[in-house]
Amino acid sequence: MASRVDRHLDEEAAEQYSLSNLSARKVAEIEEHLLICEPCRQAVAASDAYVAAMRKAAAQLRQDEQKPKRKVAGK
Amino acid sequence: MVERIQADDPSGMEELYSVFTTGIRFYLCRQLGSQDLDDKVHDAFLTITQSIRRGDLREPERLMGYVRTVVRRQVAGYIGAAVESRRNLVDPDHGAILRDRKPDPERQAIERQNADLAMRILNTLPRRDREVLSRFYLQEQSPRQICRDMGLTQTQFRLTKSRAKARFTELGQARFARRLGFSASSVTGRTGPAAAQVS
Repeated sequence: MASRVDRHLDEEAAEQYSLSNLSARKVAEIEEHLLICEPCRQAVAASDAYVAAMRKAAAQLRQDEQKPKRKVAGK
Repeated sequence: MVERIQADDPSGMEELYSVFTTGIRFYLCRQLGSQDLDDKVHDAFLTITQSIRRGDLREPERLMGYVRTVVRRQVAGYIGAAVESRRNLVDPDHGAILRDRKPDPERQAIERQNADLAMRILNTLPRRDREVLSRFYLQEQSPRQICRDMGLTQTQFRLTKSRAKARFTELGQARFARRLGFSASSVTGRTGPAAAQVS
């Protein structure tokens, strides 16, 4: 058990955790590790911030791109 | 530590606090936001210590898993209570929610700044790279599907992603440095958008 929980997260795992793309078992492993590991908490916080920002910006961009199309279609 | 808590030895409690406070705080804040966080952390410790004293934790080596389970249940309880209270705020005549959760202005400002950074990055990228990121982060398509649909190798996909993330970190650090009034090259340690998010 110790080796499983003691393992640090790599960037990919932190991102997958932020995206909620992991199995329940993997999430449990990560969350147990996060209880005791400050560097990994920082990695997850960074990843959460990045994922949220990218989602918001991509959604905004998509909206902006669709605006002129709607105008043309309405003509 | 578990034995000392069961024996009401204060050093057991102290150790439990020092090992888990920040982790529990992080978990609760991530799931529920920063409102009443101190009270929630306190409640979590109360539940954990009481249940350990009752002998609910049968295998002391499973302490971390046990703490996580207790805190997850606590989160589920808060969410259930919030859903119930929102239900009670519904206007019976119109079926509309009368009052929503109070927003956290500081957090909103940080999120807006981070989204602006992300927007700057997306706007400077080639159209194809933008589409990769949009498919992955917004549409939540798998890397395999993105590579297949767009004719990319896994390496090209990873590079597109990692370059954008590196740029985000770089811009975040520069923003942080400007605020402190010195150049980005002199910034060391944990700074940038994530630092703002955690603090």
